[in-house]
Amino acid sequence: MLQAARTKGLNIYTYSELENANGFVGNFDVKIRKRARFVTNDCNGCGACEPVCPAISSNEFNEGLNPRSAIYTAFAQAVPSIAQIDMTKCIKCGLCQKACELNAIDFDQKDEIQEIKVGAIVVATGWDEYIPPIGMLGFNIYPNVITQMKLERILAPNGPTIGHLARPSDGKTPKKILFIQCVGSRDLNKNTYCSSGVCCMISIKNTKLIKQHYPDCEITVAYMDIRAAGKDYEEYFTASRKEGIRYIRTNISKIEENLENHNLIIKMQNTLRDSKKFQENEFEMVVLSCAMTPPRGIKKIQTLLKLETSRDGFFKEFHARLNPIDTKIPGIILAGVSQGPKSIAESISQGRAAASSAARLMSKDKFRIALIRAKVDKEKCAKCGLCEFNCPYNAITLKDDGADVDEILCRGCGSCLANCPSEAISLRYYKENQYEKQIDAILENT
Amino acid sequence: MAGTIRAQYPATIRPIRINCTGRVTPSLMMRTLGKGADGIIVAG
Repeated sequence: MLQAARTKGLNIYTYSELENANGFVGNFDVKIRKRARFVTNDCNGCGACEPVCPAISSNEFNEGLNPRSAIYTAFAQAVPSIAQIDMTKCIKCGLCQKACELNAIDFDQKDEIQEIKVGAIVVATGWDEYIPPIGMLGFNIYPNVITQMKLERILAPNGPTIGHLARPSDGKTPKKILFIQCVGSRDLNKNTYCSSGVCCMISIKNTKLIKQHYPDCEITVAYMDIRAAGKDYEEYFTASRKEGIRYIRTNISKIEENLENHNLIIKMQNTLRDSKKFQENEFEMVVLSCAMTPPRGIKKIQTLLKLETSRDGFFKEFHARLNPIDTKIPGIILAGVSQGPKSIAESISQGRAAASSAARLMSKDKFRIALIRAKVDKEKCAKCGLCEFNCPYNAITLKDDGADVDEILCRGCGSCLANCPSEAISLRYYKENQYEKQIDAILENT
Repeated sequence: MAGTIRAQYPATIRPIRINCTGRVTPSLMMRTLGKGADGIIVAG
């Protein structure tokens, strides 16, 4: 990230969002809202402001496991290394202003809108972890039921416990841990898709990691199917089993809590055994391996860029098998999980593919389009505006002399001409009389 | 689509390719029915 920030000719807008996007391939006009940090670029990230801040809230970067002050840097390696103030939490006491030697704090800073022209847009919006409904498998009611992302933060050397495994209720290292796979995925009532084996592999990785640090820890993984498809993945799974991690094929529906010590009591059956007896087990911590879901802000990007989404909620690609990189809109390209759940290796492949797809578009001086475009007979046009209203691609604008079709934005669907009461619009190569001839020829002998 | 999934359909169905179902105008439908077709399926 630091390397990218230092590369000349590469502008990174952090803490910013897409405000508006217009235009077409090669000529997009993009508006970016640079949100106010309330800290100017003079900040050198020394961190003197953080300990003096009295407004404390939970740290999103660590999944709410530790506190942070209202003035903060997102995480230690954040680029650029500039603090920001969370105005929903700030009490405007001004203590940070006094602590800052560089006078970098500016409470009057406003959001800035920057307009830039770009040739192509790569959508790489990533994903969010599925949030189970409160109470499902004890989520959000029992303190020792955590999600996979929380466990990642607990195990991270830069996390709230500096990498020491500790369960939330009492901070002790759990000796019996259960991982539950497919929470919110492969479930007809929630998400029907499989998160591409990513949650399986994260669980396998974390079981191995915990076992390495705490060899006496008993780890069980409750799974539906372990999807270890990919280079070296199956070997990784086998290695984890050899290290003594128990994998039980089962479907867990209910978790109860032992009120004395906050341990979790789970009844489960091994569906691969002949005797389908339920066994009661007590675990000290339960990790829910939740599905990858589309990011929560996907609707906004979708409406701004007029993209389609697939049934799973991720952006729809040009063709699921033949071209999973481009979208149906020329010049808008997908990368990573924005198109569908995938692993890091696959995300990198798609990111590089997206970059080369954009480079191929931009290296040419000309862009070829098919001539199947709507054409307006301006003499017949009554300027009613129905075509403008019905155009799914925003290609039609009503001007003084009649409707005007933007030939690059137009995709030749014909919705405008079907709705035109004055029959002023025609579609090249798909004219009304061409269809009439086809119908007449087919029904000649009836 | 019917071809790729090897679906069988009656020989009396005559497909006409349209670039988008939004393109189908009422006048085309009326003409089809008027020329003697029993029905129209707008699929896509």
